[in-house]
Order: sequence, then C-alpha cells, then structure tokens
Amino acid sequence: MSGINLKGKVYDIQGFSIQDGPGIRTTVFLKGCPLSCPWCHSPESQAFGSQLSWMSMRCIGIEQCGKCLNVCEKGAITPGEVTKKSGTDEDIQYVHINRKICDNCGSCTEVCYPGGLSMCGEEYTVNDLVDRVSKDTPFYEQSGGGVTISGGEALSQPQFVFEVLKSLKEIEIHTALDTTGFTDGKNIDAVLPYTDLFLYDLKHMDSVQHKQVVGVANEKILENAKRIAKAGGKIQVRIPVIPHFNDSQDNIRQTGEFCKSLGEAVVLVQLLPYHNLGITKYQRIFDDVKVLEAEPPSDEKIQKLKEILEDFGLTVTIH
Amino acid sequence: MYKLKPVPIKVLKMRDKYRNTIPKVCTSRLKIVTDFYQNNPNITGILKRAMVFKEIAEKTPILISEDEVVVGSMASTYRGSALFPENDITWMQADYDNGKLFNRELDPYIIDEEDWEYIKSVIPYWKKNSLSAMVDQYIPEGYFSAVGNQVTVYNSEGICAAPVGHFCSNYDKAIRKGFGAVKAEAQAKMAEMEGHMETDTIKQYNFYRSVVIVSDGMIVLSKRYAAEAARQAAECTNSERKAELEMMADSLNWIMENPARTFYEAIQVMFLYQIGMCLHNNMHGISFGRVDQYLGSFYEADLKAGRTTPEKAQEIFDLFALKVAEMNKIWFSGTTLTVTGYTVGQLMTLGGVDKENNDATNAVTYMMLQTAGRLILHDPPMALRINKNTPKELWEAALETTKICGGVPTFENDDVIIPALMKNGRMNLESARNYCLIGCVEPGGTGDEWPACGGSGGEAYWNMPMAIIHAINDGNNPMTDRYGNKSDKRTGAHTGYLYEMDTFDDVLEAVTTQYKYFLEWQMTMVNMFEVVAAEHMAQPLISCMMDGCMESGKDVMNGGAKNNSCGVPGVGIGNAIDCLAVIKYMVYDHKLCTAKELYEAVMNNWEGKEDLHQFILNKVPHYGNDNEYCDEWAKWLLNLFADIVSSFTNIRGCKFAPGLYPVATNVLWGLLTPATPDGRRKHEPLSDGISPVQQLDKNGPTALLKSLANIPQEKYSNGTLLNMKFHPTALSNETGMAKLEALMKTYFSMGGMEMQLNVVSGETLRKAQENPEEYKDLVVRVAGYSAYFVELFKNCQDDLIQRTELTL
Repeated sequence: MSGINLKGKVYDIQGFSIQDGPGIRTTVFLKGCPLSCPWCHSPESQAFGSQLSWMSMRCIGIEQCGKCLNVCEKGAITPGEVTKKSGTDEDIQYVHINRKICDNCGSCTEVCYPGGLSMCGEEYTVNDLVDRVSKDTPFYEQSGGGVTISGGEALSQPQFVFEVLKSLKEIEIHTALDTTGFTDGKNIDAVLPYTDLFLYDLKHMDSVQHKQVVGVANEKILENAKRIAKAGGKIQVRIPVIPHFNDSQDNIRQTGEFCKSLGEAVVLVQLLPYHNLGITKYQRIFDDVKVLEAEPPSDEKIQKLKEILEDFGLTVTIH
Repeated sequence: MYKLKPVPIKVLKMRDKYRNTIPKVCTSRLKIVTDFYQNNPNITGILKRAMVFKEIAEKTPILISEDEVVVGSMASTYRGSALFPENDITWMQADYDNGKLFNRELDPYIIDEEDWEYIKSVIPYWKKNSLSAMVDQYIPEGYFSAVGNQVTVYNSEGICAAPVGHFCSNYDKAIRKGFGAVKAEAQAKMAEMEGHMETDTIKQYNFYRSVVIVSDGMIVLSKRYAAEAARQAAECTNSERKAELEMMADSLNWIMENPARTFYEAIQVMFLYQIGMCLHNNMHGISFGRVDQYLGSFYEADLKAGRTTPEKAQEIFDLFALKVAEMNKIWFSGTTLTVTGYTVGQLMTLGGVDKENNDATNAVTYMMLQTAGRLILHDPPMALRINKNTPKELWEAALETTKICGGVPTFENDDVIIPALMKNGRMNLESARNYCLIGCVEPGGTGDEWPACGGSGGEAYWNMPMAIIHAINDGNNPMTDRYGNKSDKRTGAHTGYLYEMDTFDDVLEAVTTQYKYFLEWQMTMVNMFEVVAAEHMAQPLISCMMDGCMESGKDVMNGGAKNNSCGVPGVGIGNAIDCLAVIKYMVYDHKLCTAKELYEAVMNNWEGKEDLHQFILNKVPHYGNDNEYCDEWAKWLLNLFADIVSSFTNIRGCKFAPGLYPVATNVLWGLLTPATPDGRRKHEPLSDGISPVQQLDKNGPTALLKSLANIPQEKYSNGTLLNMKFHPTALSNETGMAKLEALMKTYFSMGGMEMQLNVVSGETLRKAQENPEEYKDLVVRVAGYSAYFVELFKNCQDDLIQRTELTL
C-alpha cells in the first residue's frame, strides 16, 4: 500500500498544542518507540501495537454497568475491590484487569460506554489524518503555527510519516517533526524536504551512558543531527533534564558545544526539566508503575544550565 | 512587559473600606418617595416622575466620606442601599416571612429593626401602588395557561421588582453641555408652544416641562454636594485636604449647570449623573458607555496645561471606580442564585473605533485597565472593543489584566458587532461604530438607544432546552415550577409526544411550533409590560440626555430615543443543540433505541437506564467539537430562534434583537429543568453562554471555537457570551500569551463576537471553596459578570469548577 491510503498507528491528536514548535499547533502522536527512557511521560507511546487503557475516574462501577466482565473471552477482567470513588465518599466496585491474560483485543472497549476502557492506538490513513489536522488551518495561519508529528519515535513508521509530511506541505501547512533521531539516515533524507522544523532530542553526549539508560547508543542520533544541519534543515534541540543522568554541567557543556558545531541549523535550545506528572498515565496501561521517580531539578540549577548553553551563543528557553 | 504601578495609600484605604463594609439598608429614599406619592395623588404620569426626582434631589442624604474626591451617594451610610418601592417592595415581606431578610447567606445586608418597622408599615400601600401591581392587572387572559412553563421569564404577579434598565445614556452630552443648557433648550421649546398646542404637542410640552424639573433636580443635587464640601473645608485642619475640599466645592458648584472644565469635573459629572439616574430609576445595568472616549480629551488638556500628572489622574480614576463599586441595592434573596457580589452591571466600555473607523485607543483606555488590575476590582465591569488596529500594547495590557482579575475586561469584536447592529434596521453606521456594551455583554448604542432589555425590565432569559421538552411532551412541563406547583394543564402548544413522531422532520416541526409559541408569548408580555410601564415610569432624566428625545419631545419609554431595540436572550444553547443531535442520532439515524425508550428514560431522569445514558454522553457526537453532525443542528436551531425574535416588533417600532447569554441563570434554570434528551440529569446546570455542555468539549479550544464560530452570531446583535477557562500554566510566559492572543484573533476572524477568560486552575477554585478567607480577592468571570469567587452561590462555584479547563 502506498500514498494517501497508507495507514499509521496514532495514539493521540492534540489541538492547541503550544509547546511543540511555533504558533498554535496540532500534535499527532504516533505509537511505538525503540528507546526506553525511564522518565518517559507517555507510556502509551512505547509499544507498537494497540493497548487496553483503563481510567478509573470514568468507570461507573460493576453495580451500574459491569458489561466488560461478560464480553472478555480470555477472562482477563474480573470484579475488583470495593473502594471509594475518587473525590467522593461513595463506594464503588471497579474491575480488575489481568494484564498477563489480556491480549488487547479491545472487545471490552466496545461495550464500555462511559469510556473507562479504551484502546490506545488507532489506525489512520494518511488522507484521514491530514483531513483531521487541517481542520485547524485558520489557527495555524493566524499564529504562524502548523502540525507537529511526534511519538513515540515517529520515524519508526517512516513511510507513513513521509506521506503525511508531504501531503501537509502540499496544502502549505507548516510542519515540525519531533524525533529522538534514532533512525536510519535515509529516513531523515526522505522527510527533510517536507519538514520545516525538527524538534530534536539530545539526551546525553556520552554514548555508553546513553545506551546504559535509554537502551541505545547515541552515535546514530548525533550523526543524523549533523545530516539535517548539512542539508540546511532547522533544528530545535530539546534536552530533557533528568536528575543524576544528564544534568551535570559537564554534559550540558558538551551538548552546547555539539549544538554550536551544527551552526545556523540550531534555531532554539529548549531545556525540559524532569517532572513527575506521567505516573497516573502508567497506571492506565500497566499494573505497576515503572516510571522514574525523582526530585525535579531546582530552578537555580536549570538557570545555571541555561547560562552554560547561552555561553555558546545559543538561544535557550525553559519549559 | 506590562507593569502595575504602586497604589497610593489613600486609594488602598478606600479599597479596604469597600471590601470590609457590609452594606446597610437606608430608608431615606423610601420615605421621600412614599411621602411624595401619598401626599400627591393628584400628580400623575410624567410630571409625577419628574417631581419625585426633584424631591429626592432636594432631600436625599448628602454624604462626603473621609478622603473622597469623587462624590455622590445612594444612602446615608457608606455603601448603603436605597429602596425602590415604585417598582415593587412586597418581596421584602416575602423574604422576611421565609426568614431570609435578616439571614441572607450571600450578599448580606444590615437592616435596623426600626427601619424594618417603617418598611413593613408602607408595604401595604405599595402593594396597590407599585408598577408590579399595575402591570399585573393587564396580563392577557390567554397567558395564564402558559404560566408555569419555565421557558419564558414572565410570571403572573409581582414581576416588576427589576426596573426598566439596560441602557447607556449620553454622558458625553451631560459632561460637555450640562443640564443648564438642556433646561434652556426645553424652556425655549415650551415658550414656542405656549397657547397653541394640539394633540401630540401637548405631550411634547409635558415632556419638556418634566425636563426642566429634572434638570433643576440635578443642579440642586450638585450644589448640595458643593455646600457640604465647603462646610467640611471650613472645618478641616489638614491643609492638603482643605484645599482638595475647596477645589471640589468649586467644581460641584460649576458642573451640572455648566460644561465640565477638567478631567476631574468630567468624572464627577458622569458619577453624579449616574447617582441621579439610579436614585430616580432603581439600578439595573445602567451602563457608562465609552468612558475613555468621554475622558481622553480632558486628560490630554489637563496634562498640557500642567493641571494634572498621570499619577494624579490615575488616582482620581481609581477613586471613581471604587465609588462605582460601592453602589449596590438589596433585592430579593433569590436573586443571589443568579447574580452575587453586589454587582449591578454598571459596565464601562473601552477601546474600539471612532466615527471614521480609526482605532480610538487613548491614555484613559490604559488607565482603566490599570485600575482594574491594580485594585483587583470586578466592579465596574469593563468591556474592551477589539478591532483590526487594536495596538499590541493594549492586547497585552488587557490579557495581563484578565489574568489578575478574571474576566476583566471582556473582549468584544467590532468586526462582527458593528455589522450586526446595522441589520434589521436597528441603527445606522455612525451609531453602530459608536456602540458600547451594556449590562454584561449586550452591544447597544452609546447615548442614542433605549434598548430596555426585554422581560419585566430585566432580561428575558429564555430557557431553550425547556422548550424542547415541551416539544416532545405534547406541550406539558413535567416538573413542578419554582413555587413548587405542578401544572395540571398544558403550558405550551399541542405538538404530540416524541414517540408519536415518525421522522426527525416531525421533531423539528414540533420544536419550531414551541419556539414560536413561547418566543411570541415572551415578546408579547414584554410589549404589554412596556405599555403599562411607559404610563407610570416615564424617564425624563434619561430622556433629556439621550439622543433623539429632545428633538422629538418624547420620553425614551415612548420611543423618543434615536434607536429602539429590545433584547431577548436564550439560555442553555449547548443542551438544546445536543438534544436535537441526540434524538436524531439515537432514534432516527442509527435506530439505537426507540423514541418511546428515549422519551421514558428522559421522563424518569435516566433512572434504570444508565447504559443508555452513558452511551448518549460518550458515544454520540456533542456540540463544541468541530463536528458537522452537531454543528448543522446548532445552525438550524439558532437560526430558528434568531429569525422568530428578529421578526417581532416592539412597542417603540423597532424589531426585537436576539441574544445568547445567561448571567448565571443557567444554574438557576438548571434547578428547574427536568432531565433532557442530551444526557443532562434533572437539576443539573444548563450549559453556559454559547459554550457546549460542561465537559463535553473534548477536542480542545480550537475545535470548540470552530463550532462556536459556525453558529450565526451575526444575527445576535443583543450579544453572545463565551466564557473560556485556561489553566495558568498555559499562559505563564510571553509565548503562551501570544498564542492565546492568536487563538482569540482567529475566533474573531471566523465570526466570533465576544470572549471572556478565566485564567485559573480548578485546583485553586477548590482550595478557595475550602478556605475562603485566603482567597478573598480571587476574581472570576461567572457569565455576564465577574465576582469575587468566595462570594458566589455554592452551585455556581461548582459550575465554574466543572467547566472544561483548557491547558496544553
């Protein structure tokens, strides 16, 4: 299959996205990522296949509904413990999902009207996706915004991303690609002509530590950044500041040096201080919370790192 | 970067006094008016109204409090409340009988025992002599069968506690011409007519005669203040204050009779005229209009002549705003369910364009925002007119102000409002370009229109989903009414039951019938009210300044003003639209349930039908998500409403103007509305303004705004209201602010008329609910008005928390 009928797996589309590039944007989140960052705030982005998501706050309880118990052929859904409905004194009996048995078939979500159970990961054709995101064109035009393709690692679905970006440029919508950079060079080459801006993660300059923590080495990532710069692409570098991993002044200095070496290509460097808001999202698709729990870095510390980067003549913002 | 300047101690002290004074009921006005009415039964009509005003001006207590520079008072104590028996005062007895008069939960008042004894003693007189009493006699026989419908705002008795209101008089004329000139003009007209008057000329003569009397009244009032200022100056030992009082005495002696000479005098005229109108006329949405346009040239001239400094002028404006904030009136306790925080809707407009369509921003525009921001004042409410040339700095100042002071100012779109005002023969281009906002969000003429928003002087907050309930229930209201009565008769038109309707077209036909039935009754009653009120409640003090009246020799109540519309606002738009979409989706398009099933589920408040209820809430398209399925019915319904309203003529010869705003009646109406097909349960609030149903807009602000821009807002010249709530993190830096500005501009370019913002998190609101003391100054936008959050009715607080919060 090719062209506009090609399908990709999307787990979220967010309108009025104002942190993912210039102006008012719509961000499309694609499923699947080859990295495994312990601080990842989007656990639903990691796996390539669709997953069952469970949100207790939307469930109305077994007494009122309980239809999911009957439709699960695997027997993965059973009555859970009686507890208090969040924010109230009312008793409620939720369901329990046995993730070891559940095969993410999704039949329970079809009968779940309140939306407690839903499938994370929906297939879109290029055409449908472009139609969907181009609805907000008046806002892009007024604000100098556009569409950001994000992940997971969006370039894990390279053909789909290529077709989407190409179609968006055909209708003159500004495009940004949010990437870890961990992909084959040819995928970068393919999307370069249709990508106005790369939002590019640089997590650690030391390849050994990089591999140790996120599971892959960084050579390919740095190589691809250079490839973009050389081809005249624009890069907005994003540095997640993770306590005890990449927050040393030394590492930030090396990152700054690298950014400087990319020359005119780097339009902005963003520091994204670690926060712990992703934990509840883990509970929706995993039994146990696997996200990194740490103290967020202090404002002073972030300010210092910002100054280090600015010494390289870079424009730096904190988010 | 926008900065708030430090507040002078004097202003801070005044603000503290305002925030810490519980208003006291004052019987002065009640006594003056009661004595006059009881002693002069021979004086009637417009003459009575003029003479009673002069009597008030001569006898009302004169109060100049410590440090006051801008003066004028409704009562004998600071922040006191006057009483208005000519409209209706029987509600006080009712509040006393149900134990609420002395124990108001919200907006409490101090009432002395002996004052209550006096009030009680005159209630029987007013029971037969108030406007309510007279209007009640004229209710058409046929309307009694519609009473209890909970769609229209018009009951069978005691409905005139709200005065005629919602207008903007010509303050600019009062400032620049004065009452001396108006009086002379009236006298000249009378001299011409003496001895040879026929038919209408006699009415004109009586009108001009009343203008002379009220002009004298205004001059007397000002001179009494001058005398008090001079008296205090003579006794004052502080030389600075003494000089200030002497300056005030000099000005108060001069103004009203003569044109104002300075920035201070212009403000003093505006305020004292306001006090005069409120004392005469009860206070209800009497709006100031384009304050920056009246004052800009005075400020520039004073600066140039070295008579003032920016700091000094700012201080005077602060003190003026605090005087406006101080004004309030006690009203029946039930009103606090819809409007609290003592607000009376004395809206000020800023920004906009001039006659030639150039941006009209001036230094006073910024001064007004500075006052709201640095004093955290929700009152006076402010509305900013936006046009394509609104300066960047003004956008910034306004957005920063609304972050501090929720919903102040509101943002009004000239590009949609000006053409809307010119539709349907409402006003010409010059008037439209000079429009202001009235009450809460109603566009109207500045000094040249008598809109007297419909209903019994208040607004006709017409319950849209309730008319749909009538449409599917053969014209019956399944609920008990607000007095606990269940109507045993049909209150609407006979249109059959949902389960008798074979096609969706049948449903639309039933809805059309009920909308026509109830809207025409609503406007009929407004017209009937106006006819009776025009006879007993002439408005010479307003008419003498309002463009058109001096020329025509006619009071505003008789159509003397240049422009003459009248608004009818609908409430619960989101629910009503979703009702149609849900019925179509479930019963006719997808046949997911039968009409009978849906009908019964609704009539039984979804009891035992949770599955169906959840499906409707979560699986059916809802308005506000940029979804064509709903947006098509949004358009259909709002065209229907607008077309019926704007084809009906008021007694002043102009068409009615449709609006879409609720104040907080969406909460009150919700309590009185049964479950609705859109999935709403009985008693839950209706949706707010033109917003979707609370929490059913799931695609973020861009999709929401596209849905709202799709409705025919250009037909709603009485105003539309959109309240958006943003989490503070979305707007914590300049980039976020720029993106918000772009969001608003896009909405405006797509046809949006109005927007107001709350930048506050649900978490903060919940904390404020738990610890009100710590959040005393948290101002939030409720609907058509802002208020201190902690002073709101609990259901209203909950409704605010429930509204979708837009973040990243």
